[in-house]
Amino acid sequence: MKTATCAALGLVLIAAGGCANTQRSRNLNDPQVPAQVTAQQVCSNCHGLDGNSTSPNFPALAGQQEKYFIAQMEGFRNHNRLDPAGFEYMWGLSRHLTDAQIKGLAAYFSQQTPVPKPAGATQLTSRGAEIFDKGIPDKNIPPCMACHGPHGQGNDTFPRIADQHADYLVKQLQVFQRTEQRPEGGVMKQVAHELTQHDMQAVAAYLQALPVGK
Amino acid sequence: MPTKAQHNLLLPIRSALAGLSIAYTILLSLLPSPAQALPVFARQTGQNCVSCHAGGQFPELTPYGRAFKLTGYTLGTRTVPLSVMGVASYADVRNTSKSDTPSADFQKNGDPLLATGSLFIAGKVTDNIGAFSQITYDNYASQSNDGKYHGHTQADNIDLRYADRFIDANRDVIFGFSLNNNPSIADPWNTAAAWIQYVPAPSPTSYQFIDGNAPFPGFGAGGNIAGLNAYLFWDKTVYAEAGVYQTANHALSLFSAGVADADKTKLQGLNNPYWRLAISHEWGPHNVMVGTSGMIAHVYDSGSDTADPNNLGRFRNVGVDAQYQYLLDPHALTVQMAYMRQKQFYSANTLAGDPSPYFLPDGTTPVAAYNASDTSNIFRTKLTYVYQAKYGGSLSFFNSTGSTNTLNQSAGFDSNGQITSTDPLSTGISSTRVTGNLSGNPATRGFTYEAFWTPEQHVRVGAQYTAYSKFNGAKDNYDGFGRNASDNDTLFLYVWGAY
Repeated sequence: MKTATCAALGLVLIAAGGCANTQRSRNLNDPQVPAQVTAQQVCSNCHGLDGNSTSPNFPALAGQQEKYFIAQMEGFRNHNRLDPAGFEYMWGLSRHLTDAQIKGLAAYFSQQTPVPKPAGATQLTSRGAEIFDKGIPDKNIPPCMACHGPHGQGNDTFPRIADQHADYLVKQLQVFQRTEQRPEGGVMKQVAHELTQHDMQAVAAYLQALPVGK
Repeated sequence: MPTKAQHNLLLPIRSALAGLSIAYTILLSLLPSPAQALPVFARQTGQNCVSCHAGGQFPELTPYGRAFKLTGYTLGTRTVPLSVMGVASYADVRNTSKSDTPSADFQKNGDPLLATGSLFIAGKVTDNIGAFSQITYDNYASQSNDGKYHGHTQADNIDLRYADRFIDANRDVIFGFSLNNNPSIADPWNTAAAWIQYVPAPSPTSYQFIDGNAPFPGFGAGGNIAGLNAYLFWDKTVYAEAGVYQTANHALSLFSAGVADADKTKLQGLNNPYWRLAISHEWGPHNVMVGTSGMIAHVYDSGSDTADPNNLGRFRNVGVDAQYQYLLDPHALTVQMAYMRQKQFYSANTLAGDPSPYFLPDGTTPVAAYNASDTSNIFRTKLTYVYQAKYGGSLSFFNSTGSTNTLNQSAGFDSNGQITSTDPLSTGISSTRVTGNLSGNPATRGFTYEAFWTPEQHVRVGAQYTAYSKFNGAKDNYDGFGRNASDNDTLFLYVWGAY
């Protein structure tokens, strides 16, 4: 490769990349980047292009309630959500996003179609269905559907929990039960207080593969 | 050698880097908990190291880390593009007695030292351009006759990228170009030759048997050359990369800055293609990759006249590699495998040069003539587990085999049928102890056991023990002086940090 070729190539690269490319940008500090672009270029890496994440390390966002989504993003941005999954991955990514971008991301993911995950063992999911529908009266644990809706679809600031990764649900229930890392979820701290590990796994397994039409 | 101008330019950089490296490594050694701050990529994304590095163990990448790299280090927010890295270490070779001069054969054995430090200039430049460039200072690069060690700074891994990504409901295509100085440095999987060896290996000779210096699958061309590669990652499934390499000179001499001219890898024109193909799949917390890579490099003999085609040799490398990861907090499990087959064709001048000085044990029959080429096969596999991104361990196995060639003998019988390192009878024939090869065969095999602790995401404290069952073609007496492979077993302790 001759020097001239090299220099020319360098110039081409700089010219090609010198300008902001807002339609395919991964810049998280540019208010001009549309939310859909950020969802595609950044969020999709972990949460999936359609909000159905592959890895249970990362929550599915498809069909998520917009108000809940916005509250969480603001919680990350303001460092009010302190659980490891929050601060390790999301504090930084959200730090410069504008309100408008967060709102746009909420709209983008709320419009995606959730995909149920594989069903767990019947015995486990039966117990999960029981908790979801009726709660555990002996322990004053209300049914999940009371706040999260009959289909687990969520409502306003109550998140969609249907079709969520079981592993993620269990970890978040543990965060509510054992820590003060999600202060906005004070209600869930009371709900999860008496939940056993087995019951957490049961309800999470049920929700991960919530039957269609349920 | 660098020109005077280059030398003058490098001088303050060297001094500053040396100072920085030493100060930083001292800081790491002394402080139980370093300051809360992030290396440049983490500052750019604002994320924890565990986002991009599996179980927090740099440099192995998660699927997200691979996407970050392939999109040209452009995700996030532009920030101060500087980071530093340092390694403090300790090595203890099992047997240092079978040596004429242990102080030379096992420099710094049993002495803690501040081994190396690197400065990184890296990160997002524009929406499409990003960089990863490393300059490394070696605190023990050379030793003068008075026993004093001398540091040296040179260009390490450099990867300058242009990348773009087209993603919608119908497609996800990442493509880009990498201008780099090390074949496979642009690769996002850590079974690639440029990445599979991970803890920086200090230079003193007591470290010559640590895992980092045991056989690893690699390309014959080595590093500090210059290549332009194009790559494509389609639907997170197919990764393809192809490029050509040349000598790092003229406008690209920065890629070999600090390397003496005689030590530079000199390649013939652009006649040095590299290719890579990998298939990847993710499901649940699992991901797997199976790939292949190869390179043909036309390399002039070290320090030789590049105008003479008889100094030109050739390497042909073909490798396969695979990686499986299970990443679900708090667990990170990785299984890696890499195999490289290399055919080396020697230059005409090498083959026409002085014949082997060695004889058969009778002291009268010369050893066989040189082979015109050699074949080698290097296999590596590694199992790693990390809990809570803090406590980890790994088990590695390496096995190097290859053809026997008297050209590669560095020990043998002299004309009196003796093997000596001091040539007492003035035969003009001497052998090398400790690193000597009596058989002319490269076979080396062993295991490395490792435990490590990441007390804070920027620091890893590790202990490796590498045990050899074969070295330089033999289990026992591989150097002709009674040194056995197991004499080289080495304990290596390190404190490795980045800021």
